[in-house]
Amino acid sequence: MNIGLEHYLIVGAILFSLGLFAVVTRKNAILVLMGLELILNSANINFIAFAKYGGMNIEGHVAAIFVIILAAAEAAVALAIVLNIYRNFKHVNVDEVAKLKD
Amino acid sequence: MFEIFGVGPLTLITFLPMLGIILILLIPAGKDEQSKKASTNIYRWATVFFTFLQLVIAVVIYINFDLSLTGVNDINGMQFVEKVRWIEVEGLPMLGDLRIDYFVGIDGISAPMILLTAIICFVATFASWSIGKAVKGYFIMYLLLDLGMMGVFVSLDFFLFYLFWELMLLPMYFLIGIWGGPRKEYAAIKFFIYTLFGSLFMLLVMIALYFAVGSFNMLDMMDPSKYDPGSLLSGIGTTWRYIAFGALFIGFAIKVPTVPFHTWLPDAHVEAPTAISVILAGVLLKMGTYGMLRISWPMFPDAVYYFQWYIALIGVVSIIYGAFCALGQHKVGKRDFKKLIAYSSVSHMGFVMLGMAAMNTEGMVGAIFQMFNHGTITAMLFMIVGVVYDRTHLRGLDDFGGLANKMPIYTGVMMIAFFAAIGLPGLSGFISEVLIFLGAFQTFPVMTAISAFAIVIGAAYMLWALQKIFFGKLPDRWKGPWDPTGTKYKHDDLNGIELTALVPLAVIVIYLGINPNPITGMMTSSVNHLIELVKAGGQVAAGM
Amino acid sequence: MFSVEANFLDQLKDSIGLFLPETVLIATFLLSLILDLIFRKSRTLTGIVTAIGFVVAGICLIGQTGETAFIFSRMLVVDPFALFFKFVILLSGLIVVLMSFFSKELYETTEGVGEYFTLITGMTIGMFLLASASNLIMIYLAIETMSISSYILAGYTKEIRRASEASLKYVIFGAVSSGIMIYGMSILFGLTGTLNLFDINTFLLSNEVNMVPLMLSGLMILAGFAYKISAVPFHFWTPDVYEGAPVTISALLSVASKAAGFAVLIRFLKSAFIDPTLSSDVAWNTISSIDWQYIIAILAVVTMTVGNLVAVWQTNVKRLLAYSSIAHAGYLLMGVVVMNEIGIAAILLYFFAYMIMNLGAFYVVMLIANKTGSEELDDYQGLGHSAPVLGVCMTIFLISLTGLPPTFGFIGKLYIFSAVLDSGLIWLAVVGVLNSVVSLYYYAKVFRNMYFRGMDPPKEPMTFSYGSMILLFLLAIPTVLFGVYFTPILAWAKSSVEIFFG
Repeated sequence: MNIGLEHYLIVGAILFSLGLFAVVTRKNAILVLMGLELILNSANINFIAFAKYGGMNIEGHVAAIFVIILAAAEAAVALAIVLNIYRNFKHVNVDEVAKLKD
Repeated sequence: MFEIFGVGPLTLITFLPMLGIILILLIPAGKDEQSKKASTNIYRWATVFFTFLQLVIAVVIYINFDLSLTGVNDINGMQFVEKVRWIEVEGLPMLGDLRIDYFVGIDGISAPMILLTAIICFVATFASWSIGKAVKGYFIMYLLLDLGMMGVFVSLDFFLFYLFWELMLLPMYFLIGIWGGPRKEYAAIKFFIYTLFGSLFMLLVMIALYFAVGSFNMLDMMDPSKYDPGSLLSGIGTTWRYIAFGALFIGFAIKVPTVPFHTWLPDAHVEAPTAISVILAGVLLKMGTYGMLRISWPMFPDAVYYFQWYIALIGVVSIIYGAFCALGQHKVGKRDFKKLIAYSSVSHMGFVMLGMAAMNTEGMVGAIFQMFNHGTITAMLFMIVGVVYDRTHLRGLDDFGGLANKMPIYTGVMMIAFFAAIGLPGLSGFISEVLIFLGAFQTFPVMTAISAFAIVIGAAYMLWALQKIFFGKLPDRWKGPWDPTGTKYKHDDLNGIELTALVPLAVIVIYLGINPNPITGMMTSSVNHLIELVKAGGQVAAGM
Repeated sequence: MFSVEANFLDQLKDSIGLFLPETVLIATFLLSLILDLIFRKSRTLTGIVTAIGFVVAGICLIGQTGETAFIFSRMLVVDPFALFFKFVILLSGLIVVLMSFFSKELYETTEGVGEYFTLITGMTIGMFLLASASNLIMIYLAIETMSISSYILAGYTKEIRRASEASLKYVIFGAVSSGIMIYGMSILFGLTGTLNLFDINTFLLSNEVNMVPLMLSGLMILAGFAYKISAVPFHFWTPDVYEGAPVTISALLSVASKAAGFAVLIRFLKSAFIDPTLSSDVAWNTISSIDWQYIIAILAVVTMTVGNLVAVWQTNVKRLLAYSSIAHAGYLLMGVVVMNEIGIAAILLYFFAYMIMNLGAFYVVMLIANKTGSEELDDYQGLGHSAPVLGVCMTIFLISLTGLPPTFGFIGKLYIFSAVLDSGLIWLAVVGVLNSVVSLYYYAKVFRNMYFRGMDPPKEPMTFSYGSMILLFLLAIPTVLFGVYFTPILAWAKSSVEIFFG
């Protein structure tokens, strides 16, 4: 079987859906952040696949690299914030961090 | 035209209160009792001084007023005109050049209102004597309200008009809300929201008119030839013009107020302090009908003709409904004297609507004269309630009786006000009502006949109130002097301040009842011109 | 593929010249970072350096008046439109820095405020880039630069539980929305083969594109922007974050980051999806058959209605202002719906007004919280008498937010409504008007509590430092002054509507 553009896009879409699912359903902040990584990586897969198969220029690869870098930065800040939550609340359960009312 | 330091009389009369505000702001309220008392007196007399100056200017304007000039849509017929470019931005995308003028001037429709505002603001200052808390803030708000009201009556630029129109809301809200009665918060926000609701629709119509005409000049908006043919409001008798007229009408009708937009009025009147009730009834309600005459009628003559019957109907419903509600105050609710007068205002303003809808000289002159008379008479009535309320903190219809013996001068003054409100011949209210009936009967005979019935109800609720409060037996608890210590009220009857407020109004009411010419003469030529203008516009629409 | 153009170096030189304001900000960022390390003990030094840096950057911005150019290989655009938003961002950043000097909350609950000012500078750089980004990757980079700084700032008072909660909510919602946005961007890249907005436009003009993925990617990207401007249904973070974060940061988020969000939203829609060859009278000549105007109109209506209606029930003033800022995003979106030059001019004018009055309102909240330690509506009772200057100024700001004359907010609303009526969307104008009436109710609740209640017994008079009062007047006076004389601002907004097309 030839692996073509569609396959990569399908993998990307599945990853995106899984990531979004994790973000919505998980209670643990760390797991939510992991779901987030899935979303970002699904976009990366799309970028690379389009650049490779779409006969397009280098922009897709560059975009993917930027996304990876920013994902790292974002993860660092997010983890620091989660750590701070743990100090204040002694847990990292997103649902129970609800001092502020709706 | 006369000027002082290069400033015209209309600018002067409008912005004089600003000087008063600055003066009051500069004088500290003081910390101890002694200085507080001193500063309170300064605030009061400063306000008296500036409102008196306004009154003087108003009289000077009155003396110099040329009775033969027409005005309305004719710039040459406007008097004391001042026009200065205020905002100018050229080459705006889509809007073209934006130009807003500081454009003021008066004609026979606004001149009586200027006089009325000056009189009411002056006498209401004396009714403010009993204000005890936060006096500084009170008089600042009072003067700001004064400024806004004057501004509305002198503006000939719609943008300026709208600015002053909205400027009044905030002081009124605070005046009711801070110095009002027990349900002041409710009354204040109800007033605020109702009027804002109406005026925002007015804003939309104003913008649409601007797009049609290309300026905010009211006189241009009255001229069909200035309308851009492609705009929303151009043409005659189109659906959008009817909708725009309706939106404007709601904005003004809330202020008048007519049924079914009247529910804020009893609350506002009942909760407001005396002086503010006086201003509310004396001037603010007139803004609604004035706005119709200044804006709706000349700008939308086709719509006026189209809706003429409905406008008259709204007037008649207000007359009858207001009268019955006032009558009902004798039997239901808290039997509040102030509420009775509030509903009588709804009824009397209904007459104004009826006269305006009649679209002939008698009706229209009667309507404007009724605006003036209702202003003076109702102001008296509210002050009369204020007098007993200050002394007893009560104003129920059943709380008193036999005051005629205890307070003879007071009873004399209030008889004048009551009989003028009923429309007794020889007093000013009679003349305006007769003029309205004469005019309206030509156009709407059946409706006029029905509304005449309200005169009977009016006599009933007023005389009943008269009997309950002033005749009969004095209740035991009021047998002694009002103020046993004698510090606040030396005599049982009216004191000097109250007389200063009431007597001028009583004189006006009696004099205009004998000789209405000083006021009706001012407006005749403008009113005739306005009717011609509206008829011309309306007949074009009817001919289509 | 990759190639160096002949005059690449010349272009780079020009680009660096036009990048001066950003360069100044980056220098400020580094300088304040280093100075903070050296003078650890000083609690105001970095703040002063930041303020000076902002002023210098502002002077550099003035030098760019009237410039229109692509810089850095069409990554960024310098045009009057971006310039206006940069001014708004810079000015609000400067005012927030000045506000921070008076914030008790910041100085008493944190060990040092050095990084705080540094991060504000970082956020400002991100917003500057966002205002002039013309490439999808640049947009993503700028949004992340701004967001990452603001995530930390929202939880800067990290000992306070609600602040750390605010920053957690902000980071999770923010990261997810930007993740969705980048996924949308990747699809758009696949459809058009380019990341440059103008090239996307050209490609869409000349090629048939499958509608479903285009719509999907457009909506996903819009979701990212809608999050930044806190438009419904991406507004859930707003009340929690505004309530939890330090007041100064709530103020910054509500004005500056919203400004950047609107700048990029307008630029993205206008550059990528609207046919530039057709007459500018008809604003929405969208290339594809997707009716973006309708989508934005629905977004505007829902945003302002939800914002205003929920605000009515709020008992915390910061939360109330948060919902009010959601509602204002709705009003501003009405201008985006119109999208032609008058619509954009109206947005610019409104934004300037919104900046002054909203920062003013937050500033009063901060000053009151300094004294009473509370932001609850009930604790505002009687404040109009114990702190009359604050009460009057707060009333002015709230009246302006309602849109009543004679305040600047009225002029802004007038222009938004004019733009909407001019484009014939009368139903939208009516919805906007009704919303204004609702908004009066909850704004009035604040000054009702300040003046109508809690007068007996009278509270102790509060005193405030002269510096804090001067800043207050600097915000309150323009609110009234521009309400009666708005010629300069309008002329400026008029000359700034020009968006650069490639």
